[in-house]
Formats: sequence, C-alpha cells, structure tokens
Amino acid sequence: MRLGLGIFGMQSVPQRPDHHVKLYRDVLEDALLAESLHFDSIWLSEHHFWFDGYCPADIAVAGAILGRTTRLGVGTAVMLLPMHSVQKVADDAATMSRLGGGRLSLGVALGYRDAEFDGFGVRRKDRGKLMDAMLPRLEESCRAAEPRVPLYVGVATAVAAQRAARLGLPLFADSTMNPAELRGMLDAYNTAAAAAGVTPPRTHALQRDVFVTDDRGRDWAMLLPELRYMRRQYGGWSFPQETDETVPAYLQRLELDIEAKLKNLIMGDAAHVAGRLREFEALGFDLIVCRSQFGNLPRESLHRAIRGLSQVRDMVSP
Amino acid sequence: MRLGLGPIALEMATRTQLESLAGAAVAASFDAVWVAESRAEGVGGGLAAAAMLAQAVPIRVGAAVDAGLYHPLYLAEDIAIADLTSGGRIEGLLRHADVAASRYEAPTERAWWEEFLNVLAGALSGAHIQFDGAHLRVPARIEANQPAPERLALNPRPAQPAVPIWVESTETGLEHLARDLGFGIANHFQRGSSVPAATGRWPGMLLCPGDVQANALLVAAGESAGYFVIAAESPEEVADAGRRLAGPLRMPDLPAWITSQ
Repeated sequence: MRLGLGIFGMQSVPQRPDHHVKLYRDVLEDALLAESLHFDSIWLSEHHFWFDGYCPADIAVAGAILGRTTRLGVGTAVMLLPMHSVQKVADDAATMSRLGGGRLSLGVALGYRDAEFDGFGVRRKDRGKLMDAMLPRLEESCRAAEPRVPLYVGVATAVAAQRAARLGLPLFADSTMNPAELRGMLDAYNTAAAAAGVTPPRTHALQRDVFVTDDRGRDWAMLLPELRYMRRQYGGWSFPQETDETVPAYLQRLELDIEAKLKNLIMGDAAHVAGRLREFEALGFDLIVCRSQFGNLPRESLHRAIRGLSQVRDMVSP
Repeated sequence: MRLGLGPIALEMATRTQLESLAGAAVAASFDAVWVAESRAEGVGGGLAAAAMLAQAVPIRVGAAVDAGLYHPLYLAEDIAIADLTSGGRIEGLLRHADVAASRYEAPTERAWWEEFLNVLAGALSGAHIQFDGAHLRVPARIEANQPAPERLALNPRPAQPAVPIWVESTETGLEHLARDLGFGIANHFQRGSSVPAATGRWPGMLLCPGDVQANALLVAAGESAGYFVIAAESPEEVADAGRRLAGPLRMPDLPAWITSQ
C-alpha cells in the first residue's frame, strides 16, 4: 500500500486566516516534510472564486513542489476537468511530467459548484457530456506523455465509476464513501469494464480523512471547528440553499450532512489507523491519500499528525 | 535597465538544464530568467515551469505564454498561484499564438484576443468583475447554473500588487489596447529598432539574440529604460552575455577597461 498526503487547498479560512504567500510557503515546507518521511506523494485540491482563496491552479502549485523536492510524487485530487480546456491540461501535464521526472499524477472529476462552471461559461448540466468527451482525449495524452502521466478518475457515484471503467482508468474514490458504498461502486465499475471488454486495473486510489493522534480528546477539540467549516463549505456547494429555505433550516440540513460525513473520519493512534486502512486495501485500493490538512490547521498539530501518519506508513508498507 | 535571460524554450529543456542556465543567470547578475511554452508543439505549463524554476533561484522568473487559447481566468489563476509560490517574483509575456488555435479549438478573431486581455487585466486587478463581450461573458450568468453570482473575483490574488506582464506587439491597434489595460509592450530586437515606450512603470521589453552588443541596446533605449531579455543556450553563453552587458547597461559610460580582465 502506498500512502499519499493530502489534500492541500491553501485556504485562508475564517477561523484561522493567513496570507496566501505564507500558505504557499507552508505547503512547500509540508512537501519537504512529506519527502523526508518517505511518503509516496502529496495531493492538491482545486476550487475557484471562493473567498478563502481555495487553490484554483493545481498544476502551477505542483510545479513549485516539483521544484522544491526531488523524489516526492505530486497529484491533483482532484482537478475539475469539465471546466477546463482539456488541451491545456494535457499540454501542461505533459510538460510538467517531463520536467518533474515523471512525478506528476492527475486525478480528475466532474466538479459540482454552479458558480465555478458559470465563471468559465460552462453549463453545469453539461458536465457529464463534457467529461465523456474530454476523458478519452486526456487519457490518450497522458499515455503518450514521456514519462506517462498516471490518470485517475475521481468518483463518488456508480455512474461516474462506470465512465472510468469504459476507459479502463483507475478510480480515485471520494473520502465520503463508506466501505459498503465503495464495494457497490467497485462492483459497478467491474461490471461496466467487462461489458466494455476492458481489462480493469488491479488497484485504485482512495481518499480518506485521517488524523493520527495519541491524544484524541485534545485533537478532536482542535479539529472540530476545522472539520465543520470544511464540511459546511463542501456541503454548501453540493446542496445550495433553496430559495424558499430559511438560513436556520438550511444550516440544520447541512448539519445532518456534516454529522454523516464526519463518521468517515479515521482518527486514532498509528496502530488503529493502520488497521482501518488495511480494510480499504483489502477492497482493492493500493494508493490511499490521507487527508490530514483540513482548512488551515495549526502547523504544530498538522506536523504531529503527518509524523504520526509516517508511522502508519511504516506499518502498512514497511 | 533590466536584463533577463531567455526565454528558454521548454520543448527540449530538462529540469537540470533549466536550473543550470538559471543558476548561471544568477551568477552573471541577470535580473530575471524566462521560460517559454510552445502550445503549437504541445508544450504548455509555462507558469508551472516558472514556479518550479523559482524554487531554484532567488531572482525573478518570467513565463512567455501562448495566450488566447483558453479561458483567460485560467491564465489569471495560473499567474496568481505561480506568483504566490514564488513569493511575488513572477513576470509574464503574452504571445498571441494563432498557430496553436486549431489544437485548442480557440477563436482567432481579433475581438476574442481583445476580450481575453480585458478579462485577464480585470481579474488580475482584484476587481469584482462582470464582462460582456461577443466571445466572453464573465460570469456567464447561464440560467441553468444556479446559484451563480452576477460578478466574480480572482481568488487568491497574486502576491504582487501588480504582476508585470508584457504583450508581444503585433500591431498598433492591439498595442494601444494593451497599454490602456496596463500591460507592458515587448518586441523583437532588430538593428536600429527602439525599445517600446514604457507603460506606466513597466519599461518596454526587447527580446534579443545572444550576440547582441551593449551599445546597440543603449541606442535602442535612447532616453528610456529598457528590459532586455537575452537568448543564450549554455551557461558559458549566459556568463559571456552577463559580462558583456550588465555593466554598460547599468552605468552610463562605463570604462571598458574595468571589465576587460
């Protein structure tokens, strides 16, 4: 099993604002730490036009990380492909794969926030059709690149998995899916691959919210506002407020989603986390990107969790 | 006067070669090192490569990008992030890459290029923008996209209050627009040519061959400042250009004997 460290959005969150120059300096330091601890890779996330400055240009950040490091892989988790020019993505990725010595990976997914699609003049409703058209082109470009660019398809539904299956592309499964949902999605994937006459990859990638700690009480108190902000933000993008919905009613609806999603967080000491990750490995995920950065954690807390995760890495892939 | 190295073509360059040339530029007292993408040949990532190179050297890093091939907000975002990762050391040169347009299924009309520059400048300014053109409507305000705001802003902003960006001059009308939007103007050096007039605080830029002489650049500058970006293919050529040009460009009437040893 390979462990990736993620996912970094370089957000100046309301509960802990920072200047973005510092946030980008921090992520470069985090990449160096990840490399020194022999992680497989570091993963970056993408959103657009959001007040906290959520990173909108992953390949540009990847360039800086590739320049700062020498062995660490760098991936996008995930790039919102239907909003992009697929040719731009392909050309950017091929060049940076060459300059980075084959250390760049792409995870791509649909995206879901209307305002982002609208900014780029794309109808959100067209995202599936666009993905159908773009994915084969990008797959071809990634395969032709030297070195080849590993391409994953970010998924949270069976329909999205089936799209990836038809091209034989490995999945990058969303952090919010529980084991039962993941099993169902992999079944749908394998069925679709067989129907398309495609040999599926042996393994896939998975994103998990993971926080390694030797003091759960201390860190839970620190994490909860960060997790709540993160989940409220993602939930707010996924389920916008209805026009006839009051703010209290809307927040209550979001809260139910937050409570459900927080159940998927893996939190505990290294042995506990290693055991939980092995369950996902058994499902067929050989790359697990562990999200330990939620918003903008205190540096000391984040680094303690990253060092703890490196102990997990020693246990699951000695 | 400012002295840049490049633009180094990314087509064939390796990271080692880029860092070697950039290191030579630092050692030769260049102000900046530039890289160039070539999307007609499938070579993109100019700003990502600049962000990479900025980790290797302490000087400013420029990216010559083929513009007008995709939505300008993506270019604005690339510029902002490359600038942030470099701590505010990014510069840009926009080239109108008609030759790559078919690969990108991009419009080639003059109006598209003008709208591209308008939206790019607006986004980088930090304004909450709304733009309605023949090709670009930003935000698009598509009825099916709800909720979607009436305006949008580039987030995060670049580190620099204004990222220095030049537009390669191709025609007078375009040059006027670029100046109006606050972009510097770049041109290719030819014997007898002048440095383009400054735009605000950005001096005109001349892209120069590696064997150009200091006197020719001083004549081209006249009474103005100039930003001279010098081509070189090896660290030795970089060192030679630095020795030949840095002194005379920085001090009028520099006695030749002081650099002749």
